[in-house]
Amino acid sequence: MMFARFSLLAVVVALASGCANNSPVLGGKNIGYGDSKAVELVTNEFGSTDLQMIAESMTRSLAQSGILQGRPVVQVYDVKNKTSEYIDTREITTSIKTQLMKTGTARFASDNNQMQSQVDQLKLQNQSGLYKKNTVAKTGNMIAAKYRLEGSISSIVKRSSDYKDVFYKFSLQLIDVESGLAEWMDEKEIRKTTER
Amino acid sequence: MRLKLLAALATATLLAGCATPPPPAPGSAASKVVVMGKLSNIDIGPMRVARENGFMTVKVSLTNTSRSNKTMFYRFAWLGNDGFPVASEESWKTLSLYGSQSTVLPAIAPVPQATDFRIEVQAQ
Repeated sequence: MMFARFSLLAVVVALASGCANNSPVLGGKNIGYGDSKAVELVTNEFGSTDLQMIAESMTRSLAQSGILQGRPVVQVYDVKNKTSEYIDTREITTSIKTQLMKTGTARFASDNNQMQSQVDQLKLQNQSGLYKKNTVAKTGNMIAAKYRLEGSISSIVKRSSDYKDVFYKFSLQLIDVESGLAEWMDEKEIRKTTER
Repeated sequence: MRLKLLAALATATLLAGCATPPPPAPGSAASKVVVMGKLSNIDIGPMRVARENGFMTVKVSLTNTSRSNKTMFYRFAWLGNDGFPVASEESWKTLSLYGSQSTVLPAIAPVPQATDFRIEVQAQ
């Protein structure tokens, strides 16, 4: 009797441990991770796919154009949002900068929105008297940009009872700072239509 | 008896030949295409591969063989000398083809290290 009870317990333990959930997922029946590169068609407002397509085509066109000889220093300006919707254009700039950086064709000077931190740090090191002399970054050695990169995004939105059509146009240009000449320019057009 | 054996042998060879289509020759245009699922009515034709200003550029010709408009999804994967990807995955893109339309799909490699590519395609 004792033996039978013991073996029953052993069987139950073995079964329970065999069926134990060893998946590394906690909770989340309706939640899942998706493909960040998927074509997003949830609504026809500006979305992740548009951002990725713009950054990809602009970067490659610029890197392959042959303008960026000898890894020149480029300063990136924020993309102007001329559309009727809110777009975090800083993200377009960041994506373009990241991808250009990976191509190894350009170097980047402090952006206009990072300049304050750069100046603050230089001032702190040189004026506070807190740092060891030979470790202090010297002033007057920052590298100036040869080119500036400027872009804008605009949209045309049309609505009828059956359709909503959005046309985005993103343009980017590379301007020589000294001469003021635009050395390279490209644009990307995107059309998105919703049928109601 | 001999004839029968010969016939059986011939049939067997034929069957074996038909069972699996031969894999595309390495380096051919077909060997660069990865079809996810079934791609009906879209023909992927010749490809032009070049190196311009240090970056690999590819042009792929596509034809919609049906008379209705087709939408397909595609992306390129860029490989290095070792056959492994040299850049992170590209985002998927859509391409609309009108009925019977032929077009050319251009692409530029994201980094100079890319020496080979694959085009992944999927029909809607």
